[in-house]
Amino acid sequence: MSKKPFIILGFITAILAVVLAVTPLSNLAIAPIIVAFLSGLIVVFLSKKQNTKTKTTQYIFLLVIISLGLTIYKSVFSTTEVGNTEQLELRDEENLEDSKEILEAIEIDEDF
Amino acid sequence: MKYFIFALTALLNINSFSQNKTVAVGEKLIYTASYNMSGLLTDIAQVKMETSEIKTSKSTLMRLKCTAATYKKWDNFFKIRDLYESYVNPKTLTPYLYKRDISEGGYYKFMQYTYNHKSKLVKSLKRKKKKDGEIWDDEKTVKIGASTKDLVSTLYTIRNMDIYKASPGDQQNFTVLFDNKETIVNVKYIGKETISTKIGKKECYKLALSIKGSNILKGENNNLLWLTADANKIPVYAKFKIPVGNGELKIISATGLKN
Repeated sequence: MSKKPFIILGFITAILAVVLAVTPLSNLAIAPIIVAFLSGLIVVFLSKKQNTKTKTTQYIFLLVIISLGLTIYKSVFSTTEVGNTEQLELRDEENLEDSKEILEAIEIDEDF
Repeated sequence: MKYFIFALTALLNINSFSQNKTVAVGEKLIYTASYNMSGLLTDIAQVKMETSEIKTSKSTLMRLKCTAATYKKWDNFFKIRDLYESYVNPKTLTPYLYKRDISEGGYYKFMQYTYNHKSKLVKSLKRKKKKDGEIWDDEKTVKIGASTKDLVSTLYTIRNMDIYKASPGDQQNFTVLFDNKETIVNVKYIGKETISTKIGKKECYKLALSIKGSNILKGENNNLLWLTADANKIPVYAKFKIPVGNGELKIISATGLKN
């Protein structure tokens, strides 16, 4: 069995995992991490069988470790807090003042 | 055919003139909105629904305010700061003024509807920001039906329905004015279900929502809303399916309830 497809798959998924781990969607990186890790293992297994040495597996595992580390770090330390809403509150107040003026001007029919 | 549908909608909507027994002034509901991608849920934004009292020299109105703000980790990526508000009659939830002020990842839009229920006209004002920062206004007058409401007041009107009288399968249509167009939203009562939420285990009314002639919400029974089966009918959980995936809205806290 050829190692090549597994090396390619391992690399692509490992890079994808790193990219996802960096973004706020870090918990989506878990799936590519698993795939990359498994293909890395297969490559190791195949090279042992064929008695060849492959350096690529090291890179795959390195990338997997980086993305796994980032994902775990983010899930442990991430806080679900709302960012700066100052601008929103300002707009809220401006709108309220403006609305009061408009409502003052329009006729409010209590029948409806 | 068109008139028939219109008459049917008008008939079905008679209920919406019923008295407000559900929504109190000072109510505050907080939600977490999350997005589901291949089975993994990611928290994206916090949604708040608040009510307050507004006094003008002639009358007292209720302000229904909905805000959405993305969590900190998303702000550099895609920042959302949305504000939707509707000024309604506290007794009947009939809207007089509606405002939508949204800012989503650099995109800004402002919409304002001023209702005139006697002449069944809505004065609409659209404000957009061009790429070079220039702001332009677009004013229009839109003819509406007798029971047409905006998005925010429709949400509260759905809560005010007498669901306890309904039997599973019953439906009701609501006409919603969105982007200067009247859209029909269909609400179907599916049945009762007990679900556990952050505010405890609740018996709920399960409703299915669909929009006629639009594919924003996918499927017929994929967009669901759970309202507590008590006098407050708090929306505790919602599930929706949109073209780019599906999402959830979960309650975190509910304060200032009427009953």
